[in-house]
Amino acid sequence: MENKKLCLALYTGSVDKLTAAGVILGGAAAEDMDVEIYVLLQAAFAFKKENAMTNDRVAEITDKKDEFLASLQRLSAPHWTQAFKTAKEMTNVKIHICGFAGKVWHGDKLDDFIDLADDICGIGEYISSAEEADVNLFI
Amino acid sequence: MTQEELIAVAVDKSIDARGTSCPGPLLAAKKAIGQIEKDQVMEVLSADEGTKRDIPKWCGKKGFEYMGTIEESGFFKILLRK
Repeated sequence: MENKKLCLALYTGSVDKLTAAGVILGGAAAEDMDVEIYVLLQAAFAFKKENAMTNDRVAEITDKKDEFLASLQRLSAPHWTQAFKTAKEMTNVKIHICGFAGKVWHGDKLDDFIDLADDICGIGEYISSAEEADVNLFI
Repeated sequence: MTQEELIAVAVDKSIDARGTSCPGPLLAAKKAIGQIEKDQVMEVLSADEGTKRDIPKWCGKKGFEYMGTIEESGFFKILLRK
């Protein structure tokens, strides 16, 4: 039986939403879904090599940022990059950096981004993937 | 199965995922299931409440038999047969 497909348009560059994306990817991995992730605008910032581990911005409930980050540590929650890596190890996950998004953050080459990224693509690929997917998410 | 029957089941593999939160126990189960043979029994120890629903649903989708859940003090054991 063919694996179900998840298409994730990942716009966010904030660790709270990236952590949520990592949790969802874990669920997809457990079910052997094929996953295509399209890294758009702000997410491309988070995927830059120099930002991935130091970026601690949160998108929501910003006045509780310290409590949120401390809770992730208390719960031994993996950093979002580790959650993405685990999902890649367990199922077929491809991570595509939007070429425009990369340029916004001065990332022209695949090497400008963390090793999780597979390639740089255009938006047409995202549209094709979204058309074919069983589940579409925008985070 | 009753709790007494579940407790008496011979377990072939035990996974301790008590130190992880969702989706940790589910991923631990997924990683370990490849290490047992068909018809063998695996238990997953977890303290993450969502796991009680996640693993039975996962079993249903993957064709494994969810046998039941044993409540312990501060955690629980989920038994499944491959």
